[in-house]
Amino acid sequence: MVKATQNILLASHGTIGAQAAEQKVFEMCASNAHITHLLVVPEFWKDMLGDDWLNNSVTRIQFENYLETELGQEVDQHIDRVHSRLEKLGICSTHKIVFGNPDKCLVNTCGLSEFDLIVMGSPRPKGTAGLRSRMTTKFTARQLTIPLLAVPHPNA
Amino acid sequence: MVYTKKSSALLIIGLILLAIWYLATTNILSPYIEHLGGTEYKYLAEITSLPLYFGIFSIVFGAWQWFGKQKEGSCDYYLSTLAGGMFILLITMLVRWFLAPEIAVISKSMGKIGATGKYLHDILGLNYVVLGILVGIIIVNFFKVPNWAQNGVRLSRLGLKTGVILLGTLYSAAELKNLGGLSIIMIGVFVLGSVGLVLWLGRRMRIPNSMGGVLSAGMGVCGVSATVAAAPVVQAKSVEIAYTIGTILLWGVACMFVFPIVGHLLNLSHLQFGAWAGTGILNSAQVAGAALAYQPDGIETLKVAEIFNITRVLILPIIVLWLAVWYVKREGNSSTQVNAGKVIFEKFPIFVLGFILLFGLSTTGIFSPANHYKGKYFGNTTATGFNKEDLLTLDEISLLKSELIKVQRQDRKQAFQKLLEHGKVASIDDDDTLRGLVNAKVLSKPANDILKKTHKAVRHTAKKIKVFRSWITWLFAFGLVGLGMQITVSAMRQAGGQPAIIGGIVGLIKAGFSLIVVILLISETI
Repeated sequence: MVKATQNILLASHGTIGAQAAEQKVFEMCASNAHITHLLVVPEFWKDMLGDDWLNNSVTRIQFENYLETELGQEVDQHIDRVHSRLEKLGICSTHKIVFGNPDKCLVNTCGLSEFDLIVMGSPRPKGTAGLRSRMTTKFTARQLTIPLLAVPHPNA
Repeated sequence: MVYTKKSSALLIIGLILLAIWYLATTNILSPYIEHLGGTEYKYLAEITSLPLYFGIFSIVFGAWQWFGKQKEGSCDYYLSTLAGGMFILLITMLVRWFLAPEIAVISKSMGKIGATGKYLHDILGLNYVVLGILVGIIIVNFFKVPNWAQNGVRLSRLGLKTGVILLGTLYSAAELKNLGGLSIIMIGVFVLGSVGLVLWLGRRMRIPNSMGGVLSAGMGVCGVSATVAAAPVVQAKSVEIAYTIGTILLWGVACMFVFPIVGHLLNLSHLQFGAWAGTGILNSAQVAGAALAYQPDGIETLKVAEIFNITRVLILPIIVLWLAVWYVKREGNSSTQVNAGKVIFEKFPIFVLGFILLFGLSTTGIFSPANHYKGKYFGNTTATGFNKEDLLTLDEISLLKSELIKVQRQDRKQAFQKLLEHGKVASIDDDDTLRGLVNAKVLSKPANDILKKTHKAVRHTAKKIKVFRSWITWLFAFGLVGLGMQITVSAMRQAGGQPAIIGGIVGLIKAGFSLIVVILLISETI
C-alpha cells in the first residue's frame, strides 16, 4: 500500500493507456498526497512540416501557428481534466509541460524533485490506433532510481 | 537574437573541400579515379574546380563565423544559413563524385541482371540523387542535424524553387503548350478523382470531416505541401495531421524508389515516366527525386515532371478553397465566411511567376539564338562548333559501308551515303533522317552507336543553356539532399489509423491507373 505522504509523479498525455494510469492515481492516493502531472509534447511534432517545399512562408507560418494552437488547446484540456478531478478528491497537484523525448523528459523530471513513486500507462497493444510516441519502459526503468508503477492498458 | 552559431564547422568544411581539390589536381586521387571508371569518370572537370571556389568561400566565411563578432539583424540571419548550406553541398559533392560511382562499380562487378540487360544500380535507380536523399535521411535520423546547420537545411527549399525557376529557360513554347495541356488533363482528372475518392471513402468509413478534408488534399494534390496548406482551413485535429503527414511521407519515400524500378522494367520513355511520376507520386518533393533518379544525367524527365508539379501547385489554392467551402457546409457553420480572394492570394506559389518570367525571356532569344530549338542547334563546321576529332574513322566508315545494304528507303540511303562521303552529317535534314534510321533499328547496334555519335557531333547546346542545365541539376540535387534531412522516421512512424488505409487504397489506385493511362495514351515524344 502506498504511504499517505507520498509525492507522486504522474506521467500522462491523455491516451487511453495514460488515462488508466490517471485512474489508478485517483484510486490509490490519500488526500495529503502531492501529485505532479507531467505532460510531454513529443518532439516528432517539430518534424511535421516534413519535406514541404512548395508552400510560401505565409502558409508555413499559418500551419505552424495553427498546429501550436491546436496542441496547446489539447494540452490545456487534458491538464484541466486531471486537475479538476484531483481537486474534487481534495488532492494537491501541480503540472509540468515539457517538449521533447518522452523517456528523457521523464527521467529529467524525476531528478528535479524527491518523488516517491512514478505512475505511467503501458504501451498500447498492437493494432490499437494511436500516435507512436510512447515511452520505452525498458529504457526508462534502467534510468530511474525510484519505483515505477506501469498500469496495464485497458485493451490488453 | 543572434542566429549565427559560433562554430568551426564551416571552416572545417572549407578545408575538406580544399583538400579534395588539392588531391584531385595533384593526381593523388588518380588511382581512385581510375578505379571509379578512368576515362568514363564524368566528374573530373567538376572535382578540379568547384571544391576550390566553394572551399575558399567556406574558409573566409567560416573564419568570420568562428572568430568574428556577430550582431543581430537580417544580415546575421541570412549568413547563419551558410554553414548548413555548405554542409548540404559537401554531402551532395561527396555522393555525386565518390559514393554513387563506387556503387556503380560494385554493381557492374556483379554483372547484368538476368533478361533485363541492366545493372542492379540502374534498375534500382541508385544514382547520386537517390543516394543523396538517403544520406540526408540517415543523417537526420541517426546523427541529427547539428545546431549550426539547422538554418541552412531549411534553405534547401530555396534550391528547389530556384531550380524550377531556371527550368523555365529550357522549354520551347510548343513543348510548354503540349506538356501544359497534358498535365492539366492528367492532374485535373487524377487530382479531382483522388480528392473525391478520399472524401467518399471517408464518408463510408465515418471519419470526421476535418480528417477527410486534410487527407483528401494530401492524397490528391501535392502531399505534405497540400496538407500544410489545408490543415488550418479544415480545422484538422493534431492527430489527424500526424496520421496524414506520416502516411504521405512513408508512401512518398517508397514511391521514389519503386517508381524508377517499374519505369526501367517497363522501358518507359522520359516523357512517359515524367508524366507518370508527376501524376502518381503523392508528394511533390519525391516527384522531383524520382524524375532525377530515372534520368540522373539529363533533365528531360525532370522537365516533364516539374510541369506536372507546377500544375499541381497552381491547382492547390483552388482545392484549398473548395475544401474550405466544403468543410463549412458539412459542419453546418453558416456564420463562417470563406474569403476566396484571401485564400487564393495567400496560397499562390510566387516562384511559378519566376518560372514564367524566365520562360518568357528565353522565347525572346536572350539565352540562345532564336533559330535554336530548346537551346540546341545544328553545326557541322569548325566555326559552328564541330570538332575535327569527331569525323568518322576508317574503321567506322568500313563498318557502316558493310551495312548499307540493309537501308531500303531512298531518303535514308541518300543521307547515309552522304555521311560516308563526308565523314560527318551533311545537313540538318540528313540528321533528322539518320535519327529516324537509328530509331527504326534496321542496323546493328555498333552501327547505330556510330550514327548516334555522328548526331551528337553536329548537335550543340548553346553555352548559356548548358550552364543553366548544369545549375539546375546541382540546385535540385542540393535541394533534395536538404529535404532528405527533413524526413524523419519519427514523423513517418505516425502513419496509421484510417488515413493509412484510405491513403493506401487511393495511392495504389492513383499510381496504377495513371500508369495505364500513360502507357496507353502518351507517345514517346511530344
